[in-house]
Order: sequence, then structure tokens, then C-alpha cells
Amino acid sequence: MIANSFEYSSPATLAEALGLIADGAKPLSGGMSLIPMMKLRLASPEHLVDLARLPELNYIREEHGELHIGAAATHHDVENAPLTRGKCPLLAETAAHIGDIQVRNRGTIGGSVAHADPAADYPAALQALEAKIVLRSASGERTVSTADFFIDTFTTALEPGEIVVEVIVPVEPGLTGTSYQKCLQPASGFAIVGVAARVRRDGDNFGPVQIGITGLTGTSYRATAVENALTGKPATEETIRAAAAHAADGVDANSDLHASAEYRASLAVSYTARAIRSALSRSA
Amino acid sequence: MPVSSIVKLEKLVGKRLRRREDPRLITGTATYVEDVKLPNLHHAVIVRSPHGAANIRSIDISKAQALPGVLAVYIGKDIVGVGTVPCGADLPGLRRPAHHILAQDRVYLVGHPVAVVVATDRYIAADGADLVEVDYDVLQAVTDPEKALAPGAPSVHPEWPDNIAFTFHQNGGDIDAAFAEAEVVVKQRITSQRLVPNAMETRGVVADWKSNDRSLTLHTSTQIPHLARTLLAGMLGIEENRFRLIAPEVGGGFGSKLNVYAEEALMGWISMQLGLPVKWIESRRENFMVTIHGRGHVDYLEIAAKRDGTILGLKLKLIQDLGAYHQLLTPAIPTLSVLMMPGLYNFRNIQAEIIGTFTNCVPTDAYRGAGRPEATHGIERMVDILAAELNMDPAEIRFKNFVRPEQFPFPTATGLNYDSGDYANTFQKALDTIDYQGLRTQQAEARAAGRFMGIGISTYGEICAMGPSVATPAGGWESATVKFEPSGKVTVLTGTSPHGQGQETTFAQLTADELGVPIDDIVVLHGDTSIVQYGIGTFGSRNTAVGGAALFYALQDMKEKVKKFGAAMLKTDEVIFEDGHCLDPKTGASVTVQQIAGAAYRGIVIPKGMDPGLVVTKFWEPPNFTYPFGAHIIVSEVDPETGQIEIKRYVAVDDIGNQLNPLLVDGQLHGGAAQGLGQALWEQGVYDDNGQLVTGEFMDYTMPRARMMPWIESSHTCTPSPVNPLGVKGVGEAGTIGSTPAMVNSVVDALSPLGVRHIDMPMTPEKIWKIVNGSKA
Amino acid sequence: MKIAGTAKLPFTPERAYALMQDPLILAKAIPGCDALDKTGDDEYRLKMKMVLASLSGSFEGKVRLTAPDPPNSFRMLVEGSGKIGFMKGEGLIKITAAPDAGVDITYEGDAQIGGTMAAVGNRMIDMTARMLIKRFFEKLASEPA
Ligand SMILES: Cc1cc2nc3c(=O)[nH]c(=O)nc-3n(C[C@H](O)[C@H](O)[C@H](O)COP(=O)(O)OP(=O)(O)OC[C@H]3O[C@@H](n4cnc5c(N)ncnc54)[C@H](O)[C@@H]3O)c2cc1C
Repeated sequence: MIANSFEYSSPATLAEALGLIADGAKPLSGGMSLIPMMKLRLASPEHLVDLARLPELNYIREEHGELHIGAAATHHDVENAPLTRGKCPLLAETAAHIGDIQVRNRGTIGGSVAHADPAADYPAALQALEAKIVLRSASGERTVSTADFFIDTFTTALEPGEIVVEVIVPVEPGLTGTSYQKCLQPASGFAIVGVAARVRRDGDNFGPVQIGITGLTGTSYRATAVENALTGKPATEETIRAAAAHAADGVDANSDLHASAEYRASLAVSYTARAIRSALSRSA
Repeated sequence: MPVSSIVKLEKLVGKRLRRREDPRLITGTATYVEDVKLPNLHHAVIVRSPHGAANIRSIDISKAQALPGVLAVYIGKDIVGVGTVPCGADLPGLRRPAHHILAQDRVYLVGHPVAVVVATDRYIAADGADLVEVDYDVLQAVTDPEKALAPGAPSVHPEWPDNIAFTFHQNGGDIDAAFAEAEVVVKQRITSQRLVPNAMETRGVVADWKSNDRSLTLHTSTQIPHLARTLLAGMLGIEENRFRLIAPEVGGGFGSKLNVYAEEALMGWISMQLGLPVKWIESRRENFMVTIHGRGHVDYLEIAAKRDGTILGLKLKLIQDLGAYHQLLTPAIPTLSVLMMPGLYNFRNIQAEIIGTFTNCVPTDAYRGAGRPEATHGIERMVDILAAELNMDPAEIRFKNFVRPEQFPFPTATGLNYDSGDYANTFQKALDTIDYQGLRTQQAEARAAGRFMGIGISTYGEICAMGPSVATPAGGWESATVKFEPSGKVTVLTGTSPHGQGQETTFAQLTADELGVPIDDIVVLHGDTSIVQYGIGTFGSRNTAVGGAALFYALQDMKEKVKKFGAAMLKTDEVIFEDGHCLDPKTGASVTVQQIAGAAYRGIVIPKGMDPGLVVTKFWEPPNFTYPFGAHIIVSEVDPETGQIEIKRYVAVDDIGNQLNPLLVDGQLHGGAAQGLGQALWEQGVYDDNGQLVTGEFMDYTMPRARMMPWIESSHTCTPSPVNPLGVKGVGEAGTIGSTPAMVNSVVDALSPLGVRHIDMPMTPEKIWKIVNGSKA
Repeated sequence: MKIAGTAKLPFTPERAYALMQDPLILAKAIPGCDALDKTGDDEYRLKMKMVLASLSGSFEGKVRLTAPDPPNSFRMLVEGSGKIGFMKGEGLIKITAAPDAGVDITYEGDAQIGGTMAAVGNRMIDMTARMLIKRFFEKLASEPA
């Protein structure tokens, strides 16, 4: 439980931080995933650059019908900011499910996204929200879609020297109903499966629906088979059940001490149905 | 002084006083081992085996030695003249592996210490530990006790290829006759999985050897300061009177610190080698790996009964997973299970066999309840299984078999003598509280609607107040000293070693009432062998029932002394002692205890035949154990789609005799119930086949959290124990013992329409889901 | 832990088999492999660095290729240890000509991990093993036919 020695920098500007990272330093945000690994000496970075203190990464603001969330916004910020609560409740609700209060007070959205833990909560919501993720390095900036960003277990589109600087989510039109439903692994609090649903009605039918699922396999994904089985169909319990049954279609489910692949896949179906039901009840 | 001026003091015993310990505990100002800082303190980090079983080919310490700041690196062969880690349990034919404080040429479990690095700070010591290179020849490990007993299994200790440390038999009555007479026999294999105690404070040691005085001071997080000192003095070859052992604030133990550990002797030895103080603080990961685990049973149970539900006899084959070594009480724990196997029931025929089995795992030992939770779980499950077999109500079958009030003191089939009780009364109170008949109606409705609702009963008994010395390896008495200081302030020294139980509060309550002094004038000290007279320590729900009784008798002796001084001061023969005064009933004149204390130390008035000063020390030997009991009922509902279990209600009625402080009783019961539910639902110490501890961190080991706890509707009945003058029984372990079978019985009851008779713990959602889904297919 | 799965390679069985016996190719395909040096007939010394999320560690160990049955099957053992723990995987790799084109690979075996990694990574082991295997076959697939 004692880390190797390391150098620590807390630069005043993002440009400075990116320079250090280009030279091989490792970003530190909330430290909620990185520090435990360091204490166990499973990770031994030589140089940490603290991003969490950079004012340039610390904001939540609305621009052109979208919410821009700085990478250093904590889970607590996202959970409680009036902007996220009012204009992107799915993200706020998801943030509230992360870990415990201590973790939410320190952990950041940038750190969570960059870490790409297969059981992290945010990715489900970001998939459903079709969020954009802004990456920057000393040599430039690019924006990638959530679908392109998450590649596999702990693997993202981030290139060496690049960091997450911002997450962009849509301002939710008032008629959309959203919900995040999570089956938590009781020891760690991470998701065994987590399902984010965005539902719009079209009369008595389902309109466009987006479903994001985390925890089930190596990385989060859009459950398009479920979405297709809902859109245009009557908004009934029958439709929901039939659609949710496709939640794990074509997915190679994980297995661990807390849930075998078979059980996880079954939970994905149950929690998908719950998320749709709950989102539907919140839609207008 | 006129009589009327004596103010009646409010009695404090029985009051819900908040703990006097709390302010320091919740403001972070308590002194734990980690807070002990000494000049020139050095730090040790231990290199541990990553393998469950391996021969050590070689160890290269040269790189570690070369690291600046590293003072010394020791390996097994360096340690000469230190004894092996002691085991206080003695069973016929017990095989005792030599448990060296550092591995010699073989490692037996993941976490086995192989080297220790001492450096100027903890970071350098950890860096040094990383540089120690150990070349292992990895061997096949065995971690499942039943697999360890199978022919051809790898042997944990090559000298004992069968992996059997001992077999132990206990029989009572005539088991063959009981089974011959039986109209029905039910059988079940019931496991009690390994649990990791996880005290909030991990272990830690600071050792400080002063060569000029040949004296060692050892700060260690222990429940048994005096016993640990005696045993460690023996291991290290130093004189007990030059060995001061201090248990500073101890952040929980639950039995895991009722032990003597390799690291305690190792730090003492290192300090003696280097002539410097050294500190070792256990990491959480080490705590998982090398501090004892609890439970670890595989039980094969059989009950013989008549068709009317009368239990005739019980057979038990108990396979105990001992781990790789014996810690202090490892082999003794399953014998406690056997003792308590009859539970609250009136049958006299028993046949029990224990097979103590070595595995490549950390030793099991006393963990809250120590043997009794396993026994209670076994018997309470079997009674439910019998009820199911006979189509009887589980409440009815219990009433039928309870020991009746007029049978006390009740000699059990296992040789115990239950002190007192009215089991039916307590159980009836629990049934009334929860409205049992109403619940069964609700359950029928729920079932008709396709829901899985369960009602689980556990009527438990336990054995507390450890214990008479004949039954306790190092003595089962306890000690107390009561001192008046000249100012009239009172210091109490208890031989127990409270670490969260709250005796600094309850013993002060008792002392205040007995001596008639304000509670703020009383200080209760413990845990330092240079301050406190010899004592046995804290375990087995004994602090109040044995330590409190010792204090009570010391207080009576003190009152006698005070009266003699008071009488001398009032120049009379006979005084009444009341509300902190000695009163001459003839004249109405009185003196206060404070005045008496001052006089006793000034030595001006010394009663005939007495010496100056006011100090009393009492060692008290209890005549018997005590036997608390109770009834816990849990209502639950299972979600068939996910296998998740919801606890709807939890009613507990416990009979623990008299209560010194009901608030602390609640705390003990709530914490105990959390640990019992933890075993029933979540916790498991899992080793893979190669000896890796898979649940080696809180990421995978599910500790119960506050948010996972149900509301506990707790109440009591009270049959005072005749064993001690306080009439108390003990409450430290009751919640842990009562809760587990109630939870399991509840879920089994919920799923009984599917033909379910038993579920092994922990009842994880996946396990339940598989049962529900399997039955559909 | 059991490991089993399938992969596709765009080669003939002979080419697929040969690639997986070629230390230079294996060195490129084993994720994180720094060096693979022949130490015996069927044995190679392996040095690799695993970087996964914030976890990183160097491993030294060996790769053994046994039970050759060209071009149908062979057994492969990969084993390594380092400061953060150790790992060992052993299994049978089968190659069959696919009906459409290329070959189907099926693998089946056992994997163990130990040390600190094992105690803290339970929930990640399965996913990580699968990802590493996937990467291995993806790398192989990118070799010229
Ligand atoms: C007890 C506990 C419970 C938890 N439970 C949950 C849970 O239920 N759900 C959940 O989703 N998460 C959970 N977490 C994880 C938590 O959300 C972390 O905060 C998050 O995963 C990482 O964010 P961080 O800011 O702490 O990142 P850090 O730990 O600082 O960094 C994590 C990794 O990302 C890199 N990094 C950090 N910031 C950036 C950036 N801006 N750009 C590029 N790389 C970066 C770091 O170098 C490091 O490799 C839990 C953590 C703990 C300790």
C-alpha cells in the first residue's frame, strides 16, 4: 500500500500540462482509479501531472444547444449542477450512481472516460446521448464520437500525449424521457450491468430511442437491436419485454466472481427493460 | 453532619449513556499503533510469497541491501533463537507444524513472510522489499478442505501427506438407539464459508528494545495484552517483567487480534538486533492475506426424529479448513461448534467427529462467534429441514423441542450446563412482535400471486463469558483493581482489553453506582501490562460477564475497606455506606468517600488491622459459562428475475440477562447482525485452486455497508444469569449468531414452493437466480 | 480459469500454422512483447511489458510450442512473472479451413494469474485475457498472406 516515488507537477495552464504529458508524464485527475493502482504498485508512473486543478478544464456550460463539460468536472459536479440536472438529467442521474460520496467528490468525468473501465457508469449514458469527446494534445485538438472513442477493455481512441479535455452532450428536449438503471456489484459498487435509456414518444408508439449498455462486455455499446425493436412500435409492456430481450444480442458477456456471462446477459435484459420502462414513464 | 444533607445519587447502571470513548474516536485524536512515533523510529516491510505452495530455491537480498536508507534485510535462516508462533489449543494427537516467523525453505500460503526489509522510512523499506529476489519452485497447492482430504491430493506439509491435523470425537447419550428409534431422518451438507474479519484498523507493531535495561516495549494492536506478552516473551527469550506490552487504541478485532502473530515477534527481534525502535503497519492487502480468517466449515449433518417432530439425536461430521498452520486457537474453534450443536433443544444423543484439515490458506481462528455461528447455523437449518420433511410449521417444531424453564440448569448432550432461560417465552415475544400468523397469511397471498416471500426463524443459544479456567487454555478468570487517589478520584484497572465494546463507560457506570462517586471522577484504564495487573483480555463476550464481575467484587471489597476507614473516622463500630458517604446510624454523622480517601492516604486514622491507602485488586474465577439466547425472524422477498433478495423486516428478541447500558447493547447487536447478514448474503474468502486469494481486496470482498442493512426491530426478555453477581450474560456475539440462519431460512422458505430445502452461503443473487431458473427448466 | 474462443485468419491452414510457429511473427503479435529469444527446440524466452489502463508491469517468462500437428493443431504455453504478479496460460490451438475463405481458429485452455494482480483484478481478468487474445489474432491477421 505504498506507492513508488514519483514526481508531481501541478501546472497553472493546460498548455503547460500538455507539454509535460508530451514528454511522457501521466495525467492525474481525481486519482480514484490511478492512486489505488499506484499504492498496490500495479502502476508506477514516474511523473504525474495534475489536471484536476486546471481552471481551464473545470466547467459545465451551455453553448449552442449543447452542454460542454470540462474534463475536471467531478462526478459530484455533474450530479448536482443545475445545468446538468435541468438540461441533461440522464448524465446527472448516472453520475449519482457512481461509487460513493467520497469517490464522487474527487473522481472526474475526464478521468472516468479516459480510464474506460468496462464497468464504469458514464459510458452507458454517453452512448445513449451520442456524446462527443474532445481530445487534445500539444499538437492539436480533435473531437470523436462516443462510439468511436471506446474501443475495448481500458482501451480508447486516445493517442499517446493526448488527453480528454471535454465531453459534449445534447441539451435534452423536454419531451424526452431518460433513465439510468444499474445493477451494482456489491463489493466495489461498480456496475455489473448499467443501462441508460432515452425514449421519445410518437403518439402511442415509441419514437426514436437510444440505449447504452455498460458492464456487460469489454466496453460500452449501443444496443441497436433493442432500439430497432422499439421505434415505431406501440409503447406497451409487451413491446418493452420483446425489445429488451435483444439487449445482449451478439455480445460476448464477461464473467467474474460476481456474475457469470450467462447471468450478466440475463441482467442486461432485465435492466434494459427497467430502463426503458422508467424512461418511458418520464417522457411526454 | 445531618442525614438529610446526603444527596441521593442517580443510579447509572441500566442507563443509555453515550460512550465516553467516542469523542476521541470520532475526532481522530485516539492513539493507534500507527500514531506511535518514537525518536529514530525505523520501518519494516515484509516480502511475502505470491504462491500458495513453493520451495524456496534461493533468495537474493543484495540489491535490497544496497539501497540507500536500507538498514537490514533478514531472511528465515537469519532468525535464530526465536521460538515458533504458539498454538494454545491442545487436542489429542494434534499435529503441530513448526510455524517459523519467517519461512525457512518452503512457503505454505500466499502471503507467507519470506524476508523483511528495515529502512529509515516506510517508502524505502517498500522499495527495498521490491528488490528482494526470491526464486521459487512452485508446487501444486490445495485450498479446498474436502479436496485436501481426497486421496492423491497435494500435501500442505510433506510430513503429513493426508493433510489431517487431528480428528476429534465427541459423543453423548446413545446415538445408535436414537437413530434406531427414529421415524424420520434428515441429512444435509451445510457449509460455512471462510470470512475475512477486516477490523477497521489493520494490525500494527512498534517494538522498542533498550539494551541497557534489557527491556522491550511493544505496542501492538491486540485483544490480549498480557497473554501476548507472556507468549512473546517466551518466543523472544526475554523476561516478562522487562517486557512492557501496550495495546493502545485498538480499532476493532472481532477475534482476529485474539492471537499472537509472527510479525509481533519479528519486530521485537529486529529491534533487539538493531537496538532501534521499528514499526510495521499491516496493509489492507496483508490483512486480507495473513490475518486469520473465520469459519471454514463443511458439515455433514443428520437428525433423527419422531413423526411428531421430537428430535432424538444428531450426527455431525465437521471438516474444518484450518489453513496451513495453527494460530493461537485454530484447532479449538471447531470444538466450540460441537459443544453448541444441540442449540436450544432438548435432546441428549449426539455423535460428532471433527476432521481438522490443512490447506494452503491462511489459518482460520476465532472470528466473532467463533464456532457458535457455525453450530447455530447448522442446527437451525436442520430444524427447518426437518420441519419441511414433516410438513410442520417451523415455529411449532421449535416449541416442541425447546428445553423447558423447569429443566435448568440443563446438562446438554455435549457436557455443558445451560444456566438459565425461558426459550419459549422469548420466541413467543418475537412471533407476536412480527405477527407471525398474519405473515403466514400474507405469504399465502403472495405465493398465489407468484411472488416469493419468505419468513425465516432462528432461535439461537450461545456460550459466553469465556470462561471457567478449566475450559480456557490460558485461564478464564479476570481481574480488576480499584484505586482511590488521595483526592477521592477513582482509577479502575481492568484486565480485559476493550477495543470498541465501551467498558470505559460501562465499568465507570458500575463504579459510580457502587462507590457513590460522580462518573466524571472515574477513569478506566486497560491494555498496558506495566499499568494493569495481569488479565486475560477481551474475547468470547467476556468483558462484562467476567471482567465486570471481577470489578464488582473488587468494588465490594473496596466498600468494606472504605467502611472501616469511615467507621474509624466517625469513631464508631458500624457504619452504613450509601451514596458516597459513610453514615453512623446512631448519631447521624457522616463522612464522604473523598474525605475518607484523603484520610486513608494521610495515614492519620488507620483502622485496627488495616494498612494505609485505598487500593483493592480482585481476581475472579467464574463458576460457569453463561448462555444467552434469543429469537431472530427475518421476512424477505426474492426477485425471481434477478435473484436479488430484499429484507422486508427483521425482528430480534435477545435475552442477554441484565444490561449495564442498553445503548451499547444495541450497538453490539446491530454490528453483530451486520456481520451475520454479511455471511448469509455477501462475504466470502475465496481461494482459487492455485492458492491465490481471489477476494483479496474490498473490490471483490463484499463488506456489508450501512446502506445494505435493514432496520432492526430489537427488543429483549431478561432472565438474569445466576453465574455472576451482575446477572449479565454477554452480547458481543449474539447478533452474529442469531442473524445468519434467520436470513438463510427466510430465503429457503421463500423458494420452498420450488422444492428448495437448502442454500449454501453466501446467497448471492446469481446463486438464487440459478436456483429459480434451474427449477423452471 | 477456462479460456476458450474462436478467431478467423485470412490464410491457408499451412500459412496460419507456420506464422504461429515463427518467433519473429509471434514477437510482433503477442501484445506488449519486447523480445522472444530461442532457448530450446520448442522454447523461447519472453520479455513483455503489459500496459493496460493505469496498470503497467514487465514480465519475463517463456513461450513453449508443443504437440505439433501441422497444419492442424499445436499447444502453446505462455508464462511470465514480474513485480506485479505472474501469469500462465496453456492451451490447444486448432486450425481448420473455413468454408468461405481463410481459416477458423479455435482455442481452448486454462489461464492462471497470481500475485497482487490476482487479488485486485478479479473483475478484469476475464475481459483482459480475451482482449489480449483478440489483439494477438488481429495482429496475426495483418501479416501478408
Ligand atoms: C471505491 C470506488 C468505487 C468506484 N465506483 C465506481 C462506480 O460505481 N462507477 C464508476 O463509473 N466508477 C467508479 N469508480 C471509479 C471512479 O469513477 C473514478 O473516479 C474514475 O474511474 C476515474 O476518474 P479519476 O478522475 O479519478 O481519474 P484518475 O484516477 O486520476 O485517472 C484514471 C486514469 O485516466 C487517466 N486520466 C485521467 N484524466 C485524464 C484525462 N483528462 N485525459 C486522459 N487521461 C486521463 C490517468 O492517467 C489514469 O490512467 C470507483 C472508484 C473507487 C475508488
